[in-house]
Amino acid sequence: MNLALLSLTLPLVGALLLILLRPAGGRWVIMINLASTLAAAGALHQVMQTGTQWLELGGWQAPLAIRFQLSPLAALLLLFTAGLHLLVALYAARSRHAIGGEDFWPLSCLLQAALAALWLSGDLFNLYVTLELLSLAAVALVALAGAKAYRPALNYLLLSLAGSLAYLFGVALLYGRYGVLDIALLSELAEADVTTRLALLLMSLGLMLKAALWPLHLWLPPAHAGAPAAVSALLSALVVKGPLYILWLLWSRIAPVELAQSAGGLFAVAGIFALLCGGWSALRAPYLKTLVAYSTVAQLGYALLALGLLLRWQEPSLSAALWLFVLAHGLAKVSMFLAAGELQYTLGSKRVRALKGASQTMPLALFAFAVAGGSLIGLPPSGGFLAKWLLLQPLFQQPQHWPWAIGVLLGTLASAAYVFRVVALGFDRARPTPASFHPDRLAQWLAMLPALLVWCLALISKPLLLWIGGVSQ
Amino acid sequence: MTWTNWLPLAIVLSSLVPGLIIFSLREDQTRLRVALNLGGVVVKLALVVALIAGVDRGLQFRFELPFLPGAPLVLQADALSLLFVALSSVLWLATTVYAIGYLEGSPLRSRFFGYFSLCVSATVGLALAGNLVSFLLFYELLTLATFPLVVHRGTPESLRAGRVYLAYTVGGGTLLLMGVALLHGLAGSPDFQPGGYLHAQVQEHDLALRVGFVLLIVGLGVKAALIPLHGWLPRAMVAPAPVSALLHAVAVVKAGAFGIVRVVYDVYGASAAAELDLMQPLLWLAAATILYGSVRALQQQEIKKRLAYSTISQVSYITLGVALLGPIAAVGGLVHLVHQGLMKVTLFYCAGNFAETLGVHRIREMDGIGRRMPLTMTAFSIGALGMIGIPPMAGFVSKWYLGLGALEVGQDWVLLVLIGSALLNAGYFLPLLWRGWFAPPADWHENNWANERWETHWMLLLPAVFTALLALLVGLLAGTALSPLGWSQLIVNREFEI
Repeated sequence: MNLALLSLTLPLVGALLLILLRPAGGRWVIMINLASTLAAAGALHQVMQTGTQWLELGGWQAPLAIRFQLSPLAALLLLFTAGLHLLVALYAARSRHAIGGEDFWPLSCLLQAALAALWLSGDLFNLYVTLELLSLAAVALVALAGAKAYRPALNYLLLSLAGSLAYLFGVALLYGRYGVLDIALLSELAEADVTTRLALLLMSLGLMLKAALWPLHLWLPPAHAGAPAAVSALLSALVVKGPLYILWLLWSRIAPVELAQSAGGLFAVAGIFALLCGGWSALRAPYLKTLVAYSTVAQLGYALLALGLLLRWQEPSLSAALWLFVLAHGLAKVSMFLAAGELQYTLGSKRVRALKGASQTMPLALFAFAVAGGSLIGLPPSGGFLAKWLLLQPLFQQPQHWPWAIGVLLGTLASAAYVFRVVALGFDRARPTPASFHPDRLAQWLAMLPALLVWCLALISKPLLLWIGGVSQ
Repeated sequence: MTWTNWLPLAIVLSSLVPGLIIFSLREDQTRLRVALNLGGVVVKLALVVALIAGVDRGLQFRFELPFLPGAPLVLQADALSLLFVALSSVLWLATTVYAIGYLEGSPLRSRFFGYFSLCVSATVGLALAGNLVSFLLFYELLTLATFPLVVHRGTPESLRAGRVYLAYTVGGGTLLLMGVALLHGLAGSPDFQPGGYLHAQVQEHDLALRVGFVLLIVGLGVKAALIPLHGWLPRAMVAPAPVSALLHAVAVVKAGAFGIVRVVYDVYGASAAAELDLMQPLLWLAAATILYGSVRALQQQEIKKRLAYSTISQVSYITLGVALLGPIAAVGGLVHLVHQGLMKVTLFYCAGNFAETLGVHRIREMDGIGRRMPLTMTAFSIGALGMIGIPPMAGFVSKWYLGLGALEVGQDWVLLVLIGSALLNAGYFLPLLWRGWFAPPADWHENNWANERWETHWMLLLPAVFTALLALLVGLLAGTALSPLGWSQLIVNREFEI
């Protein structure tokens, strides 16, 4: 637990110090992230030995206490968050054009701290606080892109506040009905009465809005596409996963089984729509980063589908699929946004069309994009493939479940279509480049690094599943 | 872990590692690139020879890596995989030499040869894959590695062909994934074994097994170009000639056909496939593809297009032999895997030589080409006559066994298909031979390499002559134990436990 707290406090203290002292940020943040990653890895190692740990803040006992809980999954997500921040910071320190200003550094630290607190929180109000912090940091980061990003940032802020409010209402209703907010306690008490239903509905809507789950996703593409590249990477890979985590806690832990089963079907259908609509919009998007942003909408559909089927069939093995989608998508999306940022900066245009011949002019960045795309499509041996494989296993067990496989099939084809739209363009004939054309090789390699990692995920499937599975027992 | 564990992996890596290094080379580092290419080929061939010798002495070669839960990544050598590995390694040797000559002086060679090596690594991995999940992995990698080769020229036409290729193969790959996942749910992913491993499930899960079979065959049928999944193959003809050779003979189409053999024999097993009534539809499909491909080939006026449709027809002989489910027909199908590869690769080399040397693309431009390029035309004639099935050429051996096999299992109508196809083959190949040898020479605009010692660049000529000789030899020496025919009989004996 101490290591986990260290992994949380390091970026928090770092953010405050960076704001107060204003040193040149990059090097410090990389060091903070590295230390935080190591601490999270240590925490994961520890929690695998001891099992889930609890920390009562302020020394009060439950039900009064505010509890932090460190499960293997929370530790894994902690490691994931710190690791992705490290990867992004490495790239951002090299490519100053991708961060939108020195304020990026403290804000990204704050974002990391908010996320770490979110994974560790064990009660609904605490989760609300971390959610608010997360959204504020995220909105500020979007606004770093300058005047043209103010509008999407403002939309993001308003919708995010609306989402928080809905969530808070739900929390209040639950508190009025049961008198506790601790998730472990609520899971024993919850019944399927009107208050609980209303609370779950409000909270789910709020969270779906914040996580940009279909059909409440419309704010995401302008915000993620408008932000600086490094920010987009963090937003797509991590920020939308926070509310998703709470949604998962809410429905798999607190909601009574019969409610969860009926809601599961809705979630699953929404997931398939997300895959199709997001994929279609990505296919039509005129700008590269908009394409990648819509692909986030589509890929969240996989997570939503896994969540829905998990609830509908009460099949705990599907939560492994859900979290693998999250991990694989996070890594792939970081790589994709960084590669997109590098491509659009060096080629001097935001349009997809500008990528004509990129396989000759900027082969590394295009390759990074393609490799990350391979994981989104779910090609073996990437993490996306492993997740899809785990999703398909329970789905094929009974013939009446087979029609859901068509959703997965369509989702795969849609993602293949938009990924290969970009890749195929890259193999077009290149125009001769001007003498001033100097792509940054190191930055491109840094963009490729997460994509290479995600392609190895299936090879470490055994420990990964152990870490994730520690939770569902 | 001893060397017997690492050898299959080393065979895959022997082309993968040079490929990855080649990507990082500058365009002007020609010598290093050629050295890496040829070094990889030679090492691979040596390793394959060691593998064959080891298997002959009864050693077990198996490499295992943890992969999916319950489904490790397995590379292993059995008789069937050796057949395919040996074929693709030998043809890779010839095609590498050919490609070096073909692309001399053209741009983007590092990219080309990088993907070229990846493509062969995927093919060899697919041949050595020891279970369905490993097979799926390399099957998808093959799709990815081939796409850049198809669009290599970067013309609008080749990009369009590339898009069509991707649409077909990615769709097929997804269906294959579904099928593999379905079967994994039923019986796990054990190693391939002669006689299959699904026989115990036939009573209980007949529906799931049938659905799984359809998914697998459709997924594999895309690459094997069974109708109606063949549309990508003729379009992919816009790629450079070495790529066509690779697509048609060494890697892609063969991978599909090889997969069908694997699924029928080593996953379902002949007896389970028969009990589930799965083979009759596949047989009809294969027969229809054979006739359709031949008829369409007859209509084509471009040499490469005609060859492409001919591939669609010829590869289906393999499927036909498997679908007949008798031991004799199986020998015919398997041996055709090798025979078709050798003959078709020869034809494509020759077509490429005509195009590169004299700018000949269409059939009517071939008039009298035999006088200007006698060696190439001789090789072309050997390939074409073999395709028609004139004894004692290689194609005749395959068709003989297919015909006997059809009679053995009482499917006499297949004989009509075979005869019809042979007539159609003669119909679309013999005019080419007549024009090439006997018509008065046409007036060729280009005349590259006119001052060479040979009729064309020696690196273009040598592979064509080499594979033509091989095609001739495997037919003439079919009776010996080490020939593809003897080897196929060994595989079939194990499957049918004769």
